[in-house]
Amino acid sequence: MTLQQTVRPAVIARSASRRDNGRLIQEISMLAPAVILLTIFLVVPFLLSFWTAMTNQPLVPRPTPIRFVGFNNFLRIFRDELFWTSLWNVSRFTFWILPVQCGLAFATALLLHQKLPFRNLFRGLFFLPAITSMVVVCVIWGTLFQYPSGPFNQIIGFLSGGRIQPIDWLGDPNWAMFSIVLLSAWQAYGFQMIVYLAGLQGIPDELYDAARIDGANAFQRFWHVTMPGLRPTHVFVLVITTIQAFKLYTQVAILTQGGPKSSTETVVHYMVRSGFEEQKLGYASAVSVILFLIVLVIALLQRQLLRRFDV
Amino acid sequence: MSDLAIPTVQAKVKSERSSIGSLHMVQTASILVIALVIVSPLFMLLIASLKDDRFQILADMGSFRAFWVSSPTLSNFAEIGNLSGELAFGRYLVNSLIILASTVGAGLIVNSMAGFVLAWGSLRGRALILSLVIALYVIPQESIIMPLVIMVSRAGMTDTFAVQIVPWIASPLYIFLFYQFFAQLPKELFEAAEIDGASVFRIYRSIFLPLSLPALATVSILMGIESWNQYLWPILVTQTDYARPIAVAIATFFGQDSIYWDRAMAASVLMMIPILALYLAFQRWFVSSFVGSAVKG
Repeated sequence: MTLQQTVRPAVIARSASRRDNGRLIQEISMLAPAVILLTIFLVVPFLLSFWTAMTNQPLVPRPTPIRFVGFNNFLRIFRDELFWTSLWNVSRFTFWILPVQCGLAFATALLLHQKLPFRNLFRGLFFLPAITSMVVVCVIWGTLFQYPSGPFNQIIGFLSGGRIQPIDWLGDPNWAMFSIVLLSAWQAYGFQMIVYLAGLQGIPDELYDAARIDGANAFQRFWHVTMPGLRPTHVFVLVITTIQAFKLYTQVAILTQGGPKSSTETVVHYMVRSGFEEQKLGYASAVSVILFLIVLVIALLQRQLLRRFDV
Repeated sequence: MSDLAIPTVQAKVKSERSSIGSLHMVQTASILVIALVIVSPLFMLLIASLKDDRFQILADMGSFRAFWVSSPTLSNFAEIGNLSGELAFGRYLVNSLIILASTVGAGLIVNSMAGFVLAWGSLRGRALILSLVIALYVIPQESIIMPLVIMVSRAGMTDTFAVQIVPWIASPLYIFLFYQFFAQLPKELFEAAEIDGASVFRIYRSIFLPLSLPALATVSILMGIESWNQYLWPILVTQTDYARPIAVAIATFFGQDSIYWDRAMAASVLMMIPILALYLAFQRWFVSSFVGSAVKG
């Protein structure tokens, strides 16, 4: 008995420390793949982009050495009218996509949150566009937008009795960006809808019951219970949509190549063009740094807003 | 809720019932209309892919014939479904499937292991690593793509499968989602297994992973969609048919003077099928509340 008591702590301590070492090694090796991959494919290229942005690095290696050019790339970008056009265009895109896409997501989420028959079927159907690849979306909407006798133009012609002339959806500088907004909203609203549904589920039923007891009608319950409860969700959705909007690329690259008359040129399209068509990788990296800074500012703004609402 | 309150609520509910009835009608009607508008382009795509004449497809588009095919044919699919040569969409589809399966498979393992250690490990720098991972989430793919292209071409990785898989396996978002899911499981689970002498890996593998079906399903769907829809990265790093994914191949239809809509539609339907299957298989666990928990993150 006494022997056991004196021996036991030492044994336990020794085996515990061995187990701790083994445990530590296991934990490190479970964490290592992710850390190594993130370092090589995210951290290193990210840091490299700041360096490349200050050089005249070409796409194809040349005999002449790569020179450090300081902030020259940034100065040239700021002097390029096309860059400002692309920034203006994504801002226009954001201005339109926020109400259209978030509105659609909010409306469908509110409807699906009700106890309706076949609710899950509808939820599945409403999410279908979100799993559709943007390339496929472009095939579908490319036909819908056909000029002069595509489906949209035929419908508009029919409804207006032929009074409204066919619209060149993707070929008219005044319409091209708006057309891109329509197909982008259709494709992407599903994710925001899911986020809104989650937000709606997070509002406790007791709040609605209490409001009902106090005599609040449906609209009052919506305005005084649902809306305040969804504040963080609104912020999150708006920010995610804005960040997405600033990264606009695929649909523009496929359907309009930035045209007509640069009316759908975007920051990412501008970056890819200067990097791979004009082969100025240093210059393109400088654009990517600017893009990152824009996204960072938006994300920080979100944190500030969320913090304010959490109080 | 006290017993007194219940009758009051019921009375209110009863008085509201008639207005609720009409509200229900309006809601059902609007949900049907929205569903029709949302889904009809996809239905149209399916119908058009079964029509042989590409000029007829466009001519039918503006009318109800867009939703009806009198003599369906699979000839478009036969035309593009080759495994080699021109219009080798069979091959592109297989390429995309290889990339999807490898990325999601490896991604589930790598990200869930990391998420588990960050949630339950005893490593000292855990909190720091977690906040670094969250900070990395801000970096958009688009803004690292330029240096990444230089890196992979220096490493001789262009035009391979690996270059389309390996860079996107580890992801801050999915590590965080797994972390969040594991962290909310009860502490007793971990402690009981630990007392029984199970190693950390064993606890992860035999206890926590089997419990995390919703998380695995959600990450599978999100990662699958992301991998399946990659476009910018593959156009920069693939030059030949060898590893070209189907998204890039479909986009080449738009480079032609006259677009072969019949073939493009068939290729699009081909591209929809696998991701739709993945979604339907996991949808049951794709719980919206799980995604929503990331909102405050």
